[in-house]
Amino acid sequence: QTAGWVQCEELCQQFPHGITDQVIQNDMPHLEPQQRAMAINKLLSLGQLDLLRNSSGLLYRMKDMQSTSKMKGSDNQEKLVYQIIEDAGNKGIWSRDIRFKSNLPLTEINKILKNLESKKLIKAVKSVAASKKKVYMLYNLQPDRSVTGGAWYSDQDFESEFVEVLNQQCFKFLQSKAEAARDSKQSPMVQRNSSFATSHEVWKYICELGISKVDLSMDDIETILNTLIYDGKVEMTVIAAKEGTVGSVDGQMKLYRGVNPVIQPTGVVRTPCGLCPVFEDCHEGGEISPSNCIYMTEWLDF
Amino acid sequence: MTAQEVRLCGLLLQEHFGEVVAKVGTHLLKSGAQNLRTIIHETGISLDLVKKSLCVLVQHGTCVFSSGRKAPGSPTEYRTSCDRILRILRYPRYIYTAKTLYGDTGELIIEELLQRGDMTMSSTVKTVADRLTQNMEEGRSMDYSEVSSAFSKLVETHFLQRCPPMAGAGTKDSGTPATPATPAIPGTPAAPVSTAPPTPESFPDCYRVPHVTLIGRGKRRLSNEDGEDQRNAKKTKMDSETHGDEGIYWQVNFERFHLHFRDQAIISAVANKLDQTSSEIVRTMLRMSEVTTSPTATCTKPLSANEIFRSLPSSYNIPRPILDQYLTLLVDDPMEFVGKAGESGGGMYVVNLHKALANLARATLESVVQERFGSRSARIFRLLLRKRHLEQKQVEDFAMIPAKEAKDMLYTLLSQNLVQLQEIPKTPDYAPSRTFYLYTVNQLPTARMLLQNCYKTVANLIERRLFESKESKRLLEKSQRIEAILASLQASGAEPEQLTEVEEMITAPEKQQLEALRLHINKLDSAENQVDETIFLLESYVNSTMSVY
Repeated sequence: QTAGWVQCEELCQQFPHGITDQVIQNDMPHLEPQQRAMAINKLLSLGQLDLLRNSSGLLYRMKDMQSTSKMKGSDNQEKLVYQIIEDAGNKGIWSRDIRFKSNLPLTEINKILKNLESKKLIKAVKSVAASKKKVYMLYNLQPDRSVTGGAWYSDQDFESEFVEVLNQQCFKFLQSKAEAARDSKQSPMVQRNSSFATSHEVWKYICELGISKVDLSMDDIETILNTLIYDGKVEMTVIAAKEGTVGSVDGQMKLYRGVNPVIQPTGVVRTPCGLCPVFEDCHEGGEISPSNCIYMTEWLDF
Repeated sequence: MTAQEVRLCGLLLQEHFGEVVAKVGTHLLKSGAQNLRTIIHETGISLDLVKKSLCVLVQHGTCVFSSGRKAPGSPTEYRTSCDRILRILRYPRYIYTAKTLYGDTGELIIEELLQRGDMTMSSTVKTVADRLTQNMEEGRSMDYSEVSSAFSKLVETHFLQRCPPMAGAGTKDSGTPATPATPAIPGTPAAPVSTAPPTPESFPDCYRVPHVTLIGRGKRRLSNEDGEDQRNAKKTKMDSETHGDEGIYWQVNFERFHLHFRDQAIISAVANKLDQTSSEIVRTMLRMSEVTTSPTATCTKPLSANEIFRSLPSSYNIPRPILDQYLTLLVDDPMEFVGKAGESGGGMYVVNLHKALANLARATLESVVQERFGSRSARIFRLLLRKRHLEQKQVEDFAMIPAKEAKDMLYTLLSQNLVQLQEIPKTPDYAPSRTFYLYTVNQLPTARMLLQNCYKTVANLIERRLFESKESKRLLEKSQRIEAILASLQASGAEPEQLTEVEEMITAPEKQQLEALRLHINKLDSAENQVDETIFLLESYVNSTMSVY
């Protein structure tokens, strides 16, 4: 009886890709199906066989001796989790996603994560998008910008003041350049061209100003310059540039220059009604009406 | 014909023509075309007063009449429209423009015509000459020919036009000059007139100055005839002198003034954005295109750089290559005031009228958002104008505004209807978690909404002005009485003590109050004009988009 399962074991070792029931039968024709089943079960309970299913039926495969030696419960799971985190690169992965990928229960995951963290193999980084979410990544990786928010976020807080300061500095730089061009009294084409500054120039100026504790890239400066465009203070053109020219990206450069507003503040905003917060509620004969409007009274006595 | 427009028209009619006309006018605005009987019945005003009000309205071109729609021969129906009445707000601007272009003479001609609605050339010339003479030194008077030449110039540049003759005007009684150009008295069944009022420009003689024999000089009215002023004014019309232009009545051509204002707006925008020289070039281009471009054209006819160079004012001595550079810069500017239409003649250039109006309207909207909600909301607004549709997160990222504040600002703008939300569902059931919500700004509907707000603002200002005057009515009447007493005392040579005694009848605080009142009324008046500038820009923009369709 005992020879049955030993022989099965040897068969499995002979065929590392796995054997079907048919193969065992061929090899040991004298074994009853029941005995065969008992042998397989014995091997399975010893943890030496993997039971797999393929298109033709059940497959019995020897477990890898290497991994079986390391396969001591949690260690293997740790390896799995570590693998998953490594795959996530520098974007990191959320604990729930690790659970989905590894099919391990949550408690196990948490234990493993704590373990790995103490071994200094992984670290947790708070994501700027959802402040409660923690993503895990390998210890020595730099977190990606989408997680930390890049240069504009320091510890989850958007640095509006910093952005404001940069905004003003960039605008002053472009404005003074435009003024210098205007005062030079050269031909209009030359004047306009010299009032332009490339994003690279602005970036260099800001770096030299030294107002930023963080290193800013040219892309960062371009986002700031874009906000100036949306403020209506600056306009941008793109020109083709030779590859290798300082500041060119993909054969083109972005040029920015300060512009003047096209109209003065329009007539209606110079009246109290144009700025009135209760404009909709104002009717002659109502509680709020032109006759008793306090905003008008203040404005008239100004 | 929105409620705000009707309210504003009512106030304007009341100020210029009185309560009765205002009542009849607003009634017609609200109810559409009606015949005389219905008007009398619904307003409860007597036949006589209604007739007179309609006369006034027709005289000023605010009301048109046509034969009844029910059947030929049914009583004439009367119809008013808001547009013409809203022009009353702009009268000061028209008069001021005429003054800058044609001096005092032009100013007075336009003023007379605006006040009377329409007049013959001869009566205009005589009245204006009299008025000018009044202001001149003793012994000098204004010659009719000077005034006539100013009149002709106004006609040549199309600022004045002939009134279209009424088709059924044969029944006009030319012997009653008290109200010139009275159409058929409405009570009698009128001869069928054309159903649609013909435009003045459909008549070939629209801008032809008639041959008028006008020899003479202005008459100065002596001061003791002050009380007879009113009667004299009417007497001038009953003057039996004929000058060869009976039946030819002239009116102010508002459209032409509007084109002029539009050109001015474009020129000043170019001056603000670029520089003085560029604006002079654009001014030259617009001046050259004045007569060749139709009012609703999208852009002027192409002008060659050579022509522009020749037509530049001589004070601007810029060499030809520099002019080319300026033109290139104008074309390259993102506002696209000027476009290039070809290469012949050194480059063919056009002024993009509709695009310029759209840009000016957009700048107006941005200005309103900026003043009302702050520069960061204005940043979001401009961002949405540029990028059309954006999600909440994208708005925060592009505008570099923290999420909480950006959300707040977007919702405020949304509640004021300056920004709209577009839903794009991923699944047919519009589940909120599976729908894209995109913010967007639609320039045209927003401009229309702002225009209505402007109408309401002007109406508010007028009402406040009336209220302030009513509050201080007693004080005003007292000061008027005192002035009259003073004037009569001075005329009859009183002693200084008597004068001071009368003057002291107004106490110091009352004087202060009067002064404050005067300041308030002036401020409100000038505010009305300022809002009218915004109204003009927005109206031109809205009309330019409509004429395309």
